[in-house]
Amino acid sequence: MLRQVIVALGVVAVASQAGLAMAANPDTGPGCGLGKLAWADYKNQKNIAPQVMMATTNGTFGSGTFGISSGTSGCTNDGQVMADQKTTMFALLNFENLTQEMAQGKGEHLASLATLMGVPSEQHAAFFAMTQERYTALVQDGETSSVALVKTLNDAVSKSPVLAQAVSR
Amino acid sequence: MHVLSILLAACLWAISVQAEEPPAAYLSQLRQRAHEARLADSREWHLLLHYRANLFGGYTSEQDDPGFFLSPDGKTDPQAELDATLAHFFSSELVGRSKQPAQCAFVARYAWLKTQLSFDDALLKPLTCDRFHAWFAGFEAEAVTLIFPSAFMNNPASMFGHTFLRIDQRGQTPQTRILAYTINFAADVPKNEGLAYPVRGIFGGYSGYFSTIPYYLKVQEYRDIENRDIWEYQLNFDEPKIRRLLMHAWELGNASFDYFFFKENCSYHLLSLLEYADPSLHLTEQFSVWTIPADTVRLLAAQPGLVTDTAFRPSRVTLIRRKREHLSVSEHELVMRVVRDAAAAQSDDVRSLPLSRQAFVLDVASDYVRYKGERDEAEAASARAQNRQILTARSLLRIPSEDLPILPFAMQPDVGHRTSRASLGGGWRNNDTFEEVTVRAAYHDLLDPEPGYTPDAQIEVGSLSLRHYNRADQSRIERATLLNVVSLSPIDRLFRSPSWKLNLGMQTIKHGECQLCSNWSVNGGIGASAETHLLRREVFFAFAEVEGNYSRAYEERYRVGGGASVGFYADLAERWRLLASATYLRYALGDRSDDVRWAVGQRYTLAQNWALRLEYSHRDHDNDVLFTVQAFF
Repeated sequence: MLRQVIVALGVVAVASQAGLAMAANPDTGPGCGLGKLAWADYKNQKNIAPQVMMATTNGTFGSGTFGISSGTSGCTNDGQVMADQKTTMFALLNFENLTQEMAQGKGEHLASLATLMGVPSEQHAAFFAMTQERYTALVQDGETSSVALVKTLNDAVSKSPVLAQAVSR
Repeated sequence: MHVLSILLAACLWAISVQAEEPPAAYLSQLRQRAHEARLADSREWHLLLHYRANLFGGYTSEQDDPGFFLSPDGKTDPQAELDATLAHFFSSELVGRSKQPAQCAFVARYAWLKTQLSFDDALLKPLTCDRFHAWFAGFEAEAVTLIFPSAFMNNPASMFGHTFLRIDQRGQTPQTRILAYTINFAADVPKNEGLAYPVRGIFGGYSGYFSTIPYYLKVQEYRDIENRDIWEYQLNFDEPKIRRLLMHAWELGNASFDYFFFKENCSYHLLSLLEYADPSLHLTEQFSVWTIPADTVRLLAAQPGLVTDTAFRPSRVTLIRRKREHLSVSEHELVMRVVRDAAAAQSDDVRSLPLSRQAFVLDVASDYVRYKGERDEAEAASARAQNRQILTARSLLRIPSEDLPILPFAMQPDVGHRTSRASLGGGWRNNDTFEEVTVRAAYHDLLDPEPGYTPDAQIEVGSLSLRHYNRADQSRIERATLLNVVSLSPIDRLFRSPSWKLNLGMQTIKHGECQLCSNWSVNGGIGASAETHLLRREVFFAFAEVEGNYSRAYEERYRVGGGASVGFYADLAERWRLLASATYLRYALGDRSDDVRWAVGQRYTLAQNWALRLEYSHRDHDNDVLFTVQAFF
């Protein structure tokens, strides 16, 4: 135990110095395609020793950089999200935030999803209310796949008289 | 017939022109004009190629990727690089990491040289750069915002922060800002580097790359996972400057920089990008030894008219702590019940509240369950299931959550003191008087003015104090600090992180016969802290600690022991803080002895970068009073 403490403290010492300016900055995603894998490294990360180890291993990413082919699905050669993937990618990568905001009937992730789906801002409140009402079904679909979530949302929008008109305009 | 002959003549003329002036001739003409205009000596060219003047004349580029240079000597020869660049503009050969013709890989160089030398499109055919144009259009750029995630709660390794840029989209609202792309510079560190990481990091063993990660992923990383508050500084960049910024960022995609934690880090290369976007800014030259992200934020905020708007984006912990202030005691109790057992979300106790209060209680509970899930792997799955249950109950209420403005606990970083400190002072020690001068490289201690810094955290690196004792007529190194970290995490019903500290350095002690003796010590402790608001804000702390000492003063040269310390600090007024602590240590190994210490210190802030301190410390039979004036620089 003592040895572990000493090792841990030693690591803290080195890591803290190393952190100068660099900071714990684990960018884990190239921004596209990796989906939930992007956060695979973040386990137990608030415990001190693993936290410091994380700062030291610091999976700081350079992939998805401008010039290179990222090779992950949903990305262009130059590290941006493909236009036709934007909505499902967003739904996939923000699922926890989206479902929380759906239940709460508002929020920036939900507003952003609505924007990506082409819902005009004056109809956002109606869109939020609809997602709150259909929360259970949307979460179920979202847990299967983000494509299913977006599809259910699109269907719901097209069946809602107010939203359907607003989107088709 | 007449028309035909004219056409024929025109063709022949065109052919003859081409024959008379092949690319080689036009190239040498361009090179000559560039020479005459001394373009290779201009600031613009140096910014484009990241040249820095060498100590003894000449230039070296900070770029470390050979693919960035079109001349083999490009890294150290601005003129050769310019000549080679002009030649490559005539070629469709693919260059750089992105494998494009030079005109497309280096769009900013091309655009600038074209303006300077007025390229003749007929003689130097412009290429269409579809990849660049698609990429550029993808940003829908309208504005540029500097993003500064502040320190990682409880992790001083991140206390220096991080910076990146967000390219704000046209038509974006505060609600949809997360859709914008960022421009981020980071080291590419292989997984599981372990202890090699700091070493390679410090000595430039990694390559740093620019990337365009959507802002929503960065927000998730900092807000939800690392619990770091984010500050957003919108910059006053017009359309041409934004265009220059993106063109140069595109060029940097063709390259990598060696990554140095201390200087050539995330913030440094962002500054070089901003400098190219607006060459009237002189930023990177202000940082010669290290670049601390918070310092770069202060530097940018100090440029007249540059920062137009500042916004704050709270971390989940800040969110919960602020929301909690709006709960009554019984509502708080309910939140705790729902957190323990999600089924309580539909209990009568919750349902008996007014609808908006039900919503608020469930929202806080949901935030807290998410926080717990992110924090602990073992709890992640059950926390997600619990949160679903709470959110299902929440969705049945059918009302949107109220908007609650969330204020930060720490002030914005640009109001903070600068990171290096010099102190001048004097005092008494036992029967002697002394003068003292101290210089500290970085960064912040618990008595330093708090605005702009993460509360309850201290990290000091590289501090040296020199004293002259008048009666003893002796000058000596009084103290040296290699590293001194204190991370206090006040515990309450929701948050229970340990506090910890670590100190590595040398002090002057009195021990036995030895009056002024150097004592090297390493000390680490783990404990807990709590805050109260009796006056303004007070934090109390207690640590169990271990300490090892090395000094000639001890019979066996060393001693190792353990003990405990307690203390508190209190803000007596806005600018006035008091810090007091007491320690008892017993050394069981080596020189068997014990040590009783107490200290009381107070600081008064004169201005953002000026402070006064009066400190008293007692150690064994040693008494020391010190008065100092401190300047941050």
